[in-house]
Amino acid sequence: MIRTIRLFLAAALVFAAFGVPVTQARAAGDTIVFGSAVSLTGSLTKEGHLTQEGYDFWKDYTNAHGGLKVGAKTYKVDIKYYDDESKPNTAQTLAERLIDQDKVDFLLGPYGSGTAFTVAGVAERKKIPMVEGNGAAEKIFNQGYKYTFGVLSPAKKYLQRVLEMAVNQKPRPQTLAISASSDAFSLEVQDGAVTWAQQHGLKVVYANKYPDGATDVSSVISAIKAANPDIILNAGHLQDAILVNKGLKEQNVQAKIIGYSVGPDTPDFVGTLGKDSEDIVGGAQWSEAVGYRGIPGFYRTAKEYADAFDKQFHHRPDYHDAESTAACLAFQYAIQKAGSLDREKVRDALASLSITTFFGLIKFDNRGLNVYKPMVVNQIQNGKLVTVFPAEIANAKLRYPIPVWGKR
Amino acid sequence: MQLVLQNLVNGILSGGILALVALGFSLVYGIMNIINLAHGAFLMLGAYITWQLWSTFGLDPILAVPIAFVVLFAFGYGIQRGVINRVVRAPVLATFLLTFALSLLIETTALFVWTGDTRGVQTAYTGANFTLLGVTVPWAKLLTLVVALAITGILYLWLHRSRLGRAIRATSMDVGAAQMVGVRVAHVYGITYALGAGLAAAAGALLTLSYPLTPTMGDPFLIKGFVVCVLGGLGSVEGALVGGLVYGIVSSFATQFDVTIAGQHLSGTGLQDVLALVVLLVVLIVRPTGLVGRATA
Repeated sequence: MIRTIRLFLAAALVFAAFGVPVTQARAAGDTIVFGSAVSLTGSLTKEGHLTQEGYDFWKDYTNAHGGLKVGAKTYKVDIKYYDDESKPNTAQTLAERLIDQDKVDFLLGPYGSGTAFTVAGVAERKKIPMVEGNGAAEKIFNQGYKYTFGVLSPAKKYLQRVLEMAVNQKPRPQTLAISASSDAFSLEVQDGAVTWAQQHGLKVVYANKYPDGATDVSSVISAIKAANPDIILNAGHLQDAILVNKGLKEQNVQAKIIGYSVGPDTPDFVGTLGKDSEDIVGGAQWSEAVGYRGIPGFYRTAKEYADAFDKQFHHRPDYHDAESTAACLAFQYAIQKAGSLDREKVRDALASLSITTFFGLIKFDNRGLNVYKPMVVNQIQNGKLVTVFPAEIANAKLRYPIPVWGKR
Repeated sequence: MQLVLQNLVNGILSGGILALVALGFSLVYGIMNIINLAHGAFLMLGAYITWQLWSTFGLDPILAVPIAFVVLFAFGYGIQRGVINRVVRAPVLATFLLTFALSLLIETTALFVWTGDTRGVQTAYTGANFTLLGVTVPWAKLLTLVVALAITGILYLWLHRSRLGRAIRATSMDVGAAQMVGVRVAHVYGITYALGAGLAAAAGALLTLSYPLTPTMGDPFLIKGFVVCVLGGLGSVEGALVGGLVYGIVSSFATQFDVTIAGQHLSGTGLQDVLALVVLLVVLIVRPTGLVGRATA
């Protein structure tokens, strides 16, 4: 009950507070204005800020290089942001506001599957193209929508790559335990991993979900310990990864591989857990180590992107930054290909887009989902994130099996 | 059998800290009839004070507990006398809205000061554990439980033995009668709210040992604290303690149940919160005053 009332009050206050936009942007005749509701406060604050960095980085690059050439005319680009407070309903309202009142030309996605799902509905209704780089749940793309495009690999693939890597190790791991938070994204991640494991001869000894936003997972950990698995995975977000990792050490649970869907890639993971983060693996959309060579028009390699990004924001980009920038790139190339700002033409150009960028191949299936770009697996070694799989692009060798707790 | 014992221990360990979270909330609710939606924000402030002391001076979180308590006690007293006291007699919605606005203000300020980065405290004993009868007990959580119980015990004694403590209890029983015998109700309310804030901060400080810090970390604890204090009985120390332990143990054991109804597989793990709320519902039907609560006039 209290949650409902809180939400109601929050909504009332949001309406009251939103007289003033977060950043001033304006649609003049020579500027293309993108709109985005991102999580600048609330539970996804960290990820929301990374998303904004990724967008701003592209915006600043484009404007510094004279703008975006469409047909014969060159436009400046601008992005208008609102804070969705990490709430799907607020994101939905703000997306409508961006379209109806602020008259933005196109939408860039919010952070997270929950918010992307509601905003995708708005984009469809208003027939305005949205490219998003931060909502990986297939639920978003299974609605038959025509105006939403996701540049990132779908949720089901997040931990499949970890398993693919695991079964090639010696001695080969035999059993898997995977817990999941009860949100759309995490459940799809878990489902994808369980299905892959069963098809490839890994025995799933534990697969359960716990409540979204759980504050204590010790009993989940106890159940995993009792199942004694070779591989321990968790499908969830940064908070979950930290809680589970602390729990595994507290109850002295050992495994050959420990991995998370989201967490190890953000610097906060190492910062929060210190040496207990050592040797942990994570599925990632992108890493600095990937060897793609992009087409001209932007930084062409991951290394160039990362170095330039570091200069502007004073930290290395993680995959959230990169996938957000990639969403902007999809728009950039589609708009140029369409040679027009007409929403229908840009939509069609997005649907048939096939380009290689520093982020990898950007190409959408008929649902608007980028199923073509592979995931990578990262591991934390000596406090740094290194890429350990696939072998062609790896810049370090997987530590396997990982040492027991206290020996790291 | 081992798993049953382990889950019992898990439940007690997580219930102890929930009891401390609920304690301050319950006092404020029971005595002042204010549903303090800023409780979670106070908890978060206590956690960040602890983190700041740890990262700047290397102070152990346990030693930061009294500091966090004192800082938030003073803050809470100021807030109550300066802001909340003005609407303390207003309908419940006014205080509801006011404390909600406070929580937004505090959380947003924290976001500016400490940013949205997730933080954590690492001590020499983080993750350390011992095994007894096949049950693994983490030191940090055991220490948390011991301190939480100690604070609860001290508060109980203070409320029952000290002059001010008895004035607080008298005010909760009957404001008019308390005033007649010379209790300064405004001061009592100020102290009660300050205690609530201080206790939230103490809980937040202890939570840093096992829980990551973000400016919104208090939100789930606010909701759990609310459930725990209604479960145990409003406004009493015993109520918060019993409620917290019951909540912790029920949600811990929930993970052991897996049922299949009409082909639908239901896992108890996913229903931890639901089962705890079912227990709350049953308690409210059977004993509307909570497990150890008393009916009030």
